[in-house]
Amino acid sequence: MPRDISRRAVIAGALAAAPLAAPRAQRGTMIRWWYHFDNPTATPDALVQRFEQANPGIRIQAERIPWGGGADYDNRLYASVVANNAPDAAMVKLQNLTRLLDMDALAPLDRWVDAWPGRTDIADAMWALHRSPDGKRHYVPVQYVVLYLYCRQDWFTQANLPLPTNFDQFLAAAKALTGGERWGFGMRGGAGGHDHWASFALGGGASFEKGGLVTPQALAANRWFVGLGREHRVFPPSAPADGFRQVIDNMKAGRTAMTIHHVGSATELVGALGDAIIAVPVPRGPGGRGWTAFGDGSNAVFAQGRNQEAAWRWISFLSAGEANVVFNQLSGQLPVTASGQRAWTGHPERFIRASSESVPLMATYPQSPKTTDWTRTVWPQTTQRALLGQTEPDEMMRVFERHFHG
Amino acid sequence: MSQARLRPGSATPWLLLAPALAAVSFIVLLPVAQTVWLSLHRAILTRPRDRPFIGLDNYAALLADPLFWESLRHSLVWVVATVALQFALGFTAALLLNRSFWWRSAARALIVVPWALPSVIIGLTWSWMLDFNLGVANELLLRSGILSESVAWLARPDTAMPAVILALVWQGFPFFAVTLLAGLQAIPAEQYEAATVDGAGSWRCFIHVTLPGLAGVIATTLLLRMIWVANSLDVILVMTGGGPGTATHTLPLYAFLKAWSGLDFGYGSALAVVLTLLLLGVVIAYALRAGERA
Repeated sequence: MPRDISRRAVIAGALAAAPLAAPRAQRGTMIRWWYHFDNPTATPDALVQRFEQANPGIRIQAERIPWGGGADYDNRLYASVVANNAPDAAMVKLQNLTRLLDMDALAPLDRWVDAWPGRTDIADAMWALHRSPDGKRHYVPVQYVVLYLYCRQDWFTQANLPLPTNFDQFLAAAKALTGGERWGFGMRGGAGGHDHWASFALGGGASFEKGGLVTPQALAANRWFVGLGREHRVFPPSAPADGFRQVIDNMKAGRTAMTIHHVGSATELVGALGDAIIAVPVPRGPGGRGWTAFGDGSNAVFAQGRNQEAAWRWISFLSAGEANVVFNQLSGQLPVTASGQRAWTGHPERFIRASSESVPLMATYPQSPKTTDWTRTVWPQTTQRALLGQTEPDEMMRVFERHFHG
Repeated sequence: MSQARLRPGSATPWLLLAPALAAVSFIVLLPVAQTVWLSLHRAILTRPRDRPFIGLDNYAALLADPLFWESLRHSLVWVVATVALQFALGFTAALLLNRSFWWRSAARALIVVPWALPSVIIGLTWSWMLDFNLGVANELLLRSGILSESVAWLARPDTAMPAVILALVWQGFPFFAVTLLAGLQAIPAEQYEAATVDGAGSWRCFIHVTLPGLAGVIATTLLLRMIWVANSLDVILVMTGGGPGTATHTLPLYAFLKAWSGLDFGYGSALAVVLTLLLLGVVIAYALRAGERA
């Protein structure tokens, strides 16, 4: 009888333990990955499935994090690091880099990157842009866009105007195409509009180096930019408050002749305007200088994670070969791999060409902890005041200079 | 059956209250204390190991900050205008809904809709209604001949604040309408009959019966709404983000942006503490009224 009881107890114990043991064996290493796609219906499930099949010991928990113009995503990331609950890996942007390094949040990736066969499929220039200020590599690029100028080709043809390649041509075209309920340039004065300003102020001679925002050349470039709205009135009156949605909808509704954005909005604009919409690099300033924003997107491995190598395997998978192409079909941006770019059919060819032609003008904002606050608060507040005539353009630049350099 | 009596100084009431007090302390007092404590530090979220105690430096900086004073002025305009208009509209709606008409039940149900909608939805809806290029407001005003050209309501410093006030008035007036309607229904009909017998007309009935009968409800709802409006930032954040420039920058929005965008939780906490102190008078008045009624 005691033997029976013992046997029964063993069997019962084994049965009870079975559900616990089986999942543990299947679970392996769990990697929490934070991501965001603009398209709310896009999901990385297929990529996760493919990766898990190729890496049986690793499971990916992909967590979509609200974007909120970047602020929600970034602040959740910072808060998770402070709370010692950071994800193992996450999508990140260059403007986060210095803040994350300040927090010792990132794991250096050099030893893995150096040994990674996929490294050479990503251009050296791309790696150079993503290097940390200390020379190490903490980011692996996964997507990119370059900002360019969208133009209503049909209106330019009707008015017999050349597509603008420099500031003078841009101003002439903007003035010629402004009239009635139509404006030459859809300026984004709300959140994210610093990219528009930068193409003209930085392209016109300003820089973020100490004193670079208040040189005579920089002040003149900014006066010219503000004058587009205040003097020439080629922006819609709503420009100081317009965000991304308004700028794109105005273009679709035939209210503006030009605006600045990237391939991410190409499909939507083509859907509304067909062949009438075209893109060219942003115009160059005096002396042929030009500046356009590099819209980066990377993945990073977080230092708090206990499975950094597994996290690296996941993020390197996303930046290589066909997976990178699939990833960018989901994100609506462009592959970072040379092989992926050659095979890319995700956007109409003319927008890919405009992106490629814009690469020589491509630059990034300063890798400073102050950049995020500048883009989110200081730039819109100050620029809106300047566009509304509440402050002078030169004072606007002095505010920016003080923000970055005290 | 003998009645148990509590001896003076007995710990029993405190023991019975202890769970509620513990919950309130944990949910309310602890975050308040933490906010005050944070406001005495240079607390940048991304520098968790560098959080020095700086005493009242954040408060001194705040007093010298022109944006603080501008935000305070905007907050005063925002609260006074919004609450006054919500009250006027809500009271009018309550008086109308207290009358008898065949679709009164449907009207009473429908009037709650703006109050039931999330603020973010209301902000987005009004943003698009007031949009310069595609908004229905300009379209209607142009077609009716009131305007000769479209107005960029949210991009002009003189119209942005009235626009966000309009959106919040629309959202908040049902609160007044519903509570004042309940108050109206609690006034005994005999009082109106007696006043009518004494020769009072509609206006004198309103002045001498309705208003005194509603005085308590009006005071409580005004106090409550002032606290809520003074603290609200979601509609402004969605519609203007505080702009154009700083034309709709209010104190809670400033505290939020300082903490959420600037990641300066020390300064943001100081702003929040100052806002709380400014509201304390209203809060105490409400607490006293609530105590009287209890």
